[in-house]
Amino acid sequence: MTGRPDGGGPLRGVRVLDFTWVWAGPYATMLLAMLGAEVIKIESRGRMDIMRRVIVWPLFAPIPQEIPPDQGASFGAINMNKLGVTLNLDRPEGVELVKRLVGVSDVVFENMRPGTMGHMGLGYEDLCRTNPRLIMLSSSARGATGPESHYAGYATVHHAVGGASQITGYPDGPPSTTFGDVDLVNATASAFAVIAALHHRDATGEGQLIDFSQCEGVSSLIGEVLLDYEMNGRSQGRQGNADELMAPHNVYPAWGVDRWVAIAVETDEEFAALACVIGRPELAADPRFVDAASRKRNEAELDEIVSAWTRVRDRDFIANMLTREGIAAAPSRDADDLVHDPHLHARGAFVEVDHPEVGARRFAGAPWIMSDPGVETRRAPLLGEHNDYVFRRLLGLSEEEIAGLQRDSVIQ
Amino acid sequence: MASRGAFDGVKIVEYATMVSGPYCGKLFADMGADVVKMEEPPSGDPARQRGPFPGDKPHPERSGLFAYLNTSKRGVALDLDQPHGLEAFRRLVAWADVLIDNHPPARLESLGLGWDQLRQQNPGLIFASLTPYGRTGPRAQAKGGELTSFHAGGLGNLLPTRSEDISRPPIKAGGYPTGYSTGLTAAVAIAGALYGRRASGDGGRLIDVSEQEAVLALVRTNIASTIYHRTVWSRVPERPPALGRLECSDGYVVALLIEDRHWHGFVELMGNPDWAAGPEWGTLYYRAGHLMEIADRIAEWATQQKKEDVHHRGAAKGFAIGSVYNAEEVMNYRQYHARDYFVDVDHPEVGNARYAGWPYKMPASPPAVQRPAPLLGQHSREVLQDVLGFSPDEFADLRREKAVWEAREQ
Repeated sequence: MTGRPDGGGPLRGVRVLDFTWVWAGPYATMLLAMLGAEVIKIESRGRMDIMRRVIVWPLFAPIPQEIPPDQGASFGAINMNKLGVTLNLDRPEGVELVKRLVGVSDVVFENMRPGTMGHMGLGYEDLCRTNPRLIMLSSSARGATGPESHYAGYATVHHAVGGASQITGYPDGPPSTTFGDVDLVNATASAFAVIAALHHRDATGEGQLIDFSQCEGVSSLIGEVLLDYEMNGRSQGRQGNADELMAPHNVYPAWGVDRWVAIAVETDEEFAALACVIGRPELAADPRFVDAASRKRNEAELDEIVSAWTRVRDRDFIANMLTREGIAAAPSRDADDLVHDPHLHARGAFVEVDHPEVGARRFAGAPWIMSDPGVETRRAPLLGEHNDYVFRRLLGLSEEEIAGLQRDSVIQ
Repeated sequence: MASRGAFDGVKIVEYATMVSGPYCGKLFADMGADVVKMEEPPSGDPARQRGPFPGDKPHPERSGLFAYLNTSKRGVALDLDQPHGLEAFRRLVAWADVLIDNHPPARLESLGLGWDQLRQQNPGLIFASLTPYGRTGPRAQAKGGELTSFHAGGLGNLLPTRSEDISRPPIKAGGYPTGYSTGLTAAVAIAGALYGRRASGDGGRLIDVSEQEAVLALVRTNIASTIYHRTVWSRVPERPPALGRLECSDGYVVALLIEDRHWHGFVELMGNPDWAAGPEWGTLYYRAGHLMEIADRIAEWATQQKKEDVHHRGAAKGFAIGSVYNAEEVMNYRQYHARDYFVDVDHPEVGNARYAGWPYKMPASPPAVQRPAPLLGQHSREVLQDVLGFSPDEFADLRREKAVWEAREQ
């Protein structure tokens, strides 16, 4: 292990060189950092993570290029706990410095188009010459091999190609993609693969190059849908909120504009309790609704009955009433609801970090609570913020050498 | 030749049902961990009641959902309400490096196996507790599941995208996105905690994973935008010039045009129509304000195209585009076949089928299906006798008491 020994967290001592950008890579390395790995994000002023300058996503930001590089909101949300350096990889001296860093690192993580790292002289084989035990993960749209390895892609396209959009939407409507969540799910899966490879390396001394396909990442999460085709030749369509066994199982209108509450009833006991809450206790014995199969058969009628009750009531009131009776019920929450959710605050789901340019900001923290975490949340790095630590202390360059490299635009 | 899995030698007990905990267990099992899935008789994991089933005939040993999520595991069936069944489970947990549990915390506590007792008995244990809302906070006891956690976590509210009618409800994405994401999230934390134990001598850990927060984690960038700018995202507005979904004559494609060169490639693909030819279209800002004016013409062009033609010709022009594939198309997708993505699994009840593989190719420690999903109690005898040291006589006693169940002999 090569990372700083004084850090905390279960991955302390692991050092990761992070060449990722946008969402799918940066969130993966942030997860590693939140477990204590020392993650060094490598950018340059000419080629910085584009998320630094946009609110969430370049298409939706009104004037993206006018946001200063350290103030992008989504950058801050998925690059916490990392160190940042600026190194110009178009210069051979920059490539040399990367190789020296690889010599004192455990993992290289990148999500450029397949082949890009190789063109810069930073392919896995090049890097293994400096570090034969290196673990490298390359995450790409469709994987590094095969006839479509060069295809570009973003989260919504992966969702479509992977087979998930086809099953998302109203039964009578078009397929729907989701959002960048696909990138963050793939990030999670790729972080898992990297930690697995660390286990393997520690057991055998052997590193490896992990080829991660983001489309495959989508398909691996609909395994049962693909088996339906294998078993029955069926390609499933869209089901809205419906479940194959449960009813009621839907999102119901609540009082107010665009206010909704999700309700899922699993057992006969839960249905009897629901019937009482909505003032229709007789429904529990109604032959149309007497067991799960009957309720599922008469789901449309049931949805009408439940909607008539929910429509004139507050969604939190509904969720609380039903939750108290042991029924799964939750408002369909938007981001503003989440930010103000007292339950999430009680659990510390949001962390506050101080930023020299924008002040204190809250972000969603690690997606788990771990005993003895050993890691405190730190804000995302400013561009080049840790050049001194990395180049002087880690690589042992002198002040003069660093000044020279800065003059020559190698360290930018 | 047996290859080595990354988690060879790691011992995991999975006391978990449906998707989240079982998918988490599968991730480790397919990488070589010895995962013992503990099910409660008589019916076991409720995923066994869920489809798909061959020929659409429900059968507890033929669920495709169960078969996919439980590959590579051994299965035991113990009645925890029987003292000897509980004792066997206690010994199983004492053997384990990791316990994956997705029951309400009160369940294990009522069995005398709460976190305090667990770590006393097994100080190195990594205990992953997967629950709808987490183990703390005002909603810790609340019931939840796939649908409610997806909406509670903020992703449902954004779907379906480009929804034209807000009198229709927001929806859950298809399948079990909450369960899978929660399982993946827990797997990262568990793998990390195991590494701390192995490399730095860390002790056991409690890992508390909330389904709501596993979903929330995926909309964290939207949340950041809400905190920064008070913009709240929803399923409603059109968002040009993302382009997004286009309806072709035989299905849909999804395209994303971000850089100006992507736009130019797309205009070329459309055959350079006059209405998109002006130089003003070459900037993102202009397109952001005006794309809706030509949206109908783009849609009309698309209806005259075949989706695969647009997909591959578009991709050749360098922008992000792909067809909306259904299950049949995914199973026949040339890229997946070229990469050997699918894996053949022969299950005694389900039969032979191709399963989805893994998105990571790991040449030094390739994931593999070690064995098909277990029948209910298939490995009860093997695990109790070989792993826990019960004698054949003791095992026979437990069988007689119905403290342990075995799969029916065929």
